Amino acid sequence: MGFDLAFALSSVPTILGAVGTTFCVALVSCIGAAAIGFFFEMVRRAGGVAGLTTGFVIDFIRSTPVLAWLYFLYFVLPFYGIRLGSMTVGVMGLSLYYSGYLAEVFKAGIDAIPKGQSEAARALSLSRRDSVIHVIAPQMLRNIAAPLGNYFVSILKATPYLAVLAVPEMLGRAFDIASETYRYTEPLVVAGLIFLALALVISHGVKRLERRLLAVGAR
Amino acid sequence: MSLFDIWLGILQGLGTTAAVTAYGLVFAVPFALVFGVAQYLTRGAARLLVTGVIEFWRSSAVIILLFVFYYALPVVGITLSAMTVSAMVLGLNAGGYASQAVRAGLQALPSGQKEAGAALGLSRPAILLLIELPQALVAMSPTFVNTLIQLVKATALVSLVTLTDMTFRAKEIAQVEYNPVAIYTALLLAFFVVCYPIALAGRWLEARVAAPGSRSRGI
Repeated sequence: MGFDLAFALSSVPTILGAVGTTFCVALVSCIGAAAIGFFFEMVRRAGGVAGLTTGFVIDFIRSTPVLAWLYFLYFVLPFYGIRLGSMTVGVMGLSLYYSGYLAEVFKAGIDAIPKGQSEAARALSLSRRDSVIHVIAPQMLRNIAAPLGNYFVSILKATPYLAVLAVPEMLGRAFDIASETYRYTEPLVVAGLIFLALALVISHGVKRLERRLLAVGAR
Repeated sequence: MSLFDIWLGILQGLGTTAAVTAYGLVFAVPFALVFGVAQYLTRGAARLLVTGVIEFWRSSAVIILLFVFYYALPVVGITLSAMTVSAMVLGLNAGGYASQAVRAGLQALPSGQKEAGAALGLSRPAILLLIELPQALVAMSPTFVNTLIQLVKATALVSLVTLTDMTFRAKEIAQVEYNPVAIYTALLLAFFVVCYPIALAGRWLEARVAAPGSRSRGI
């Protein structure tokens, strides 16, 4: 057997053809996770019973594997008559799983803003709404940009989990080739290298962004 | 099958989950120590090489790494059990993350520590072993706990390479019993009861070692 380089190269276009799907799944999941995570964090900050419950939900999500969540949604939703495509279920699973982590990112981003900022906004008699939009949110966005970018890379690297739900992303394509040709090594190595390259390139971009934001912050 | 029977059935996989985690640590801990210290001490080309190895294990998608090594190692004549391959891949991935904590912990120490050691006439290895590493490892211990939790959760993947862990047991039970709500809720709960106490221990540890004001929430 051995490693057939020509065969590996021939599998590149098919696998690379799914890079768009992988990227879109990661992007939509990241937006979904940010939306749910922000909502979780807002409810948690408000405190009370709802806040404590949400805090527990966040901890629960973070104590359980993403694969278990994917199976849970994939098999439980149809039980209640909710039939969704595997891609939708996959995006929901990744969004839900990573929302627990992004809630923590929002928490840290908001906690890092000095109290004086909202006090100053109040002293200038800005309304609560205006102080959030013009004073708090811009500073929070700067605090969360880099961790959000890092979680985007994590989500991207988690998209191959969706192959277990038969979503045609890159790992799924690699397995399609493998099951047709009975050669697993080459397509899997190709998929692995493409993911590694994507992760390294985006991580590098996030690092540069972080450095620029830190430079702005230090002014 | 009652809910309790399902729960017990899933817990039959706890042994495998624990074994993969423990066996994974056998790979993760030495890798993190050796490569974290190496990245801290080396310069130039040597450092590039060390960073390359770390990034390979850390930045690859772990599910693809697992499949690549599971299918590719026999092709190049290396036959390992599914257990060994899983422990190696999951362990070195976690070790890659932990190595960054080791390096960051060492870099964060004030240079006066090293200089004081040198002034006392200690050799470089003695300074590293007696002065730098103990402080760095204690300071980073909450991060290591988080990595341990990630490792436990990542063991759910071994169900995809035929090991009968908790996730695999859940899928087996799902084949004889159509009760996805109970089965997959029980699976999530099974992981929660394993990981949440570790997370709480991590938070306790963090409160002990962290300087006030620099806390995160663990998991």
